[in-house]
Amino acid sequence: MSAPAPPHYTSVPAWAREPVVEPVDHAGTSHSVLSVGPDGAAAAAHWLDALGCAGARVRHHDCADAAQAVDALETDLADALVGHRVLVAGSAQACLAVRAAAVRAGLSDAELRVAVTTVDERSVWCVHCHATNSAAAELEDVLACAGCGRTLLVYPHVSRRTGAHLGFMVDAEGPA
Amino acid sequence: MSASLSLVVLDAVDAAPGVRSLSLADPSGATLPSYTPGSHVVVEIPAGEGRERPLANAYSLTGESLHPDRYSISVLHVPHSDGGHGGSAWMHTLGVGSQVQVLPPRSAFAPVRPASRHLLLGAGIGVTPLVSHLRSHARWGAPVEVLHLARPGQGAHLDDLVELGGDAVTLVHDRATWLTILRGRLRAQPMGTHLYTCGPAGFMDTVVAEATVAGWPAGRVHLEHFGIDALAPGEPFTVGVDGDVLDVPSGVSLLEALEEAGREIPSLCRQGVCGECRLKVGSATGLLHRDLYLTDDDKAAGDCVMACVSRAQPGADGRSHLEVLL
Amino acid sequence: MSTVHEARGVTHDRSRGHARTSPDLIATFPFPFPQTTYRYSTNVEPGRAAVSTPAGQWGEAVVDIDSEYHHELAERARILAVDPSRYAVLPHMHVAAWDAALDLMRELALTHPDQCDLTLLERGARPTYRWRNDLLGIDHTFVLGDTDTLPPEHPEPLGWIAAQVQEDIVLLDQRDGVLYGDAGVVTFAADWSFGFDVGMTFLEIHGPVPRLHAEGVITRAHEFLKRLEPGEVYRRTNWTLTVGRRLDVSTELYPEWGPDREWVQTLDDEDFGRLVHLRVEVQHLIRLPESGAVMFLIRTYLLPLADLAGVEHWRLRTAEVLRELPDDMAEYKGIAKYRHRTADWLLAH
Repeated sequence: MSAPAPPHYTSVPAWAREPVVEPVDHAGTSHSVLSVGPDGAAAAAHWLDALGCAGARVRHHDCADAAQAVDALETDLADALVGHRVLVAGSAQACLAVRAAAVRAGLSDAELRVAVTTVDERSVWCVHCHATNSAAAELEDVLACAGCGRTLLVYPHVSRRTGAHLGFMVDAEGPA
Repeated sequence: MSASLSLVVLDAVDAAPGVRSLSLADPSGATLPSYTPGSHVVVEIPAGEGRERPLANAYSLTGESLHPDRYSISVLHVPHSDGGHGGSAWMHTLGVGSQVQVLPPRSAFAPVRPASRHLLLGAGIGVTPLVSHLRSHARWGAPVEVLHLARPGQGAHLDDLVELGGDAVTLVHDRATWLTILRGRLRAQPMGTHLYTCGPAGFMDTVVAEATVAGWPAGRVHLEHFGIDALAPGEPFTVGVDGDVLDVPSGVSLLEALEEAGREIPSLCRQGVCGECRLKVGSATGLLHRDLYLTDDDKAAGDCVMACVSRAQPGADGRSHLEVLL
Repeated sequence: MSTVHEARGVTHDRSRGHARTSPDLIATFPFPFPQTTYRYSTNVEPGRAAVSTPAGQWGEAVVDIDSEYHHELAERARILAVDPSRYAVLPHMHVAAWDAALDLMRELALTHPDQCDLTLLERGARPTYRWRNDLLGIDHTFVLGDTDTLPPEHPEPLGWIAAQVQEDIVLLDQRDGVLYGDAGVVTFAADWSFGFDVGMTFLEIHGPVPRLHAEGVITRAHEFLKRLEPGEVYRRTNWTLTVGRRLDVSTELYPEWGPDREWVQTLDDEDFGRLVHLRVEVQHLIRLPESGAVMFLIRTYLLPLADLAGVEHWRLRTAEVLRELPDDMAEYKGIAKYRHRTADWLLAH
């Protein structure tokens, strides 16, 4: 285990800092299992086993990327009933993007489970030009914004509605 | 604690067997404060006529919540044989022109606005906060469904339910039918629905158990316990300060008692949050903290209290007393 | 680059400072330092109470109008036109938006009865109101919940009322024991991004502030807000320093105002005293009845050091607080580079 999160990382889920596999919520009466990429598919396999053994109603979507998973989720939720649960397996970046879609659809945290395979990649939203960057970056790293070229600090501040980290210009104040 | 409102009974009718509906208004006819749908008021019931001490009963508001010209409540008479304390009996004696002291509305059962749909499950007098919800949902066009259980010929506000909810309302008179319908409806709600229930404890236990079996997470299930969420007025106690002993009656805070005795205590929020009125405690028979400021460790140490909300509790000898160090 | 940046050049010419501060801005300045040191605390107190200062008083009004009214409303309109992300109302917040508009109209009418009046024309499930705001030449009749009855140029209640008050507005929805910042109009943010934070919880929004969590200040504030009842009004203050009379120091514009923190150090004493402002936010917390949402009003006041120094108590107290402030708090407030010079300047003037 890594060190506990600093107290001010309130918006960064623990699973976006350290890979984790959350267990199936057997209280659910039906489930959408969304796996993103080959690693995600592997991580979802044991969920599918557990749900299969329990005879649960499952819709499984093996997705190439997060966008596809978001589409699949939105389709599933259009006719889902209360009692439904969503399980997402993939990178933290993909899981954050799918969680954002779930939040927009009115799901609560209790209705979502994740299996995070890697936390290396992050989406970083540039607060200055509104471009969203996808990059291998740690929290509090810097990266060049693909939209405006500014050097952005990857702030430990994550939006529920987009799944992106806040990025702002790290050297705006000029020479120290 | 908010100051109570002095209201008069504008209207009193026997709405159903054992249920009296009262409209309470400002004596001058002024508009009363708007409130959140599902709110209740606490009515102060004086001691006497068999009541050892004053009571404070909570009643859900059933009328229009925006710019109300009256607060409407419906009171089920709970006889002593059913565990009543005489409060509802007193409420049933009120007639047009009677005066009552009422604490302003408090919200502990509000509709969840992001819900895509609202499922209202009531029984008996538990209809009251649900009528209030239904009014608001009708106002804002929110999808809603009502399943209500009432004994034949005994329900209050059934006409309100039908008027406000129309086809979305199902009235059931026997428990077996209700349970069958409930099980079906719990399994047919679109994702995004929230459920609200109010009724006798056993009824709500059944709703919660059935919802859990149907896969409802706790966050989508909302209960109204007929309780008082506001801080209770508390039991009387005494406080010792610099050799003086002051009485702190029920409904008066330690802070207020000290202020009345001419002691200046710094204070801000008067809700147990800001930490400003923290007092050192020398000794106490027992402490009821009720604040949100002190840590669990502080509370366990028992050497300080927040004067605005904390009270003494009885010790082994039944006496409630605390010594503060100013 | 987006249009957000293309319009930057039109920053109002007064952003560098007033030639002369209007006397009412000194007389009503909410001086924020009751003590000789400053730490974060859940410093909430009941609203509407007047506070006397050596220069006058503040605090009676929840919605305060001063001589900057027309200028600040024009500034808000300009910012919203350039960057619409400063306004957001998530779909479920439309009830709260109406609630907020009504409540703010009531507050305006309460404190400015000669210029503002809200009349309930018809009660009922969908009440009808007449709203008059002579300061802006508004006389309009509307029906609650019916956006078709709003002025065509402001077809949404929160946008309409935000164009009539100097306060920034955040609306917090309460569900499952948590407050969510789900709507608002924030054009005068002090180093945060409303557009990014919308939809986050109260605890998440305040995440980046050092000390707040470790000291339990935010969780206590959260508990307090959750228990607010309709009709109750509380307030707190917050403060920082800002270079220039610049209301919009949002994270969005950091590249524009960030360099001022370096540049200010190069100024001569006269310019320094004219350009460095004590920035005070008076924040009001109000529970709205129909939606059950909590309305968070943030009103920003800016007073240059030159005027602050004109009041002896303010001059000495501000210097004292700035000198003592722990480094991490100075760093978070963005004043680490010039707070000591500010203190020295105050002590020398």
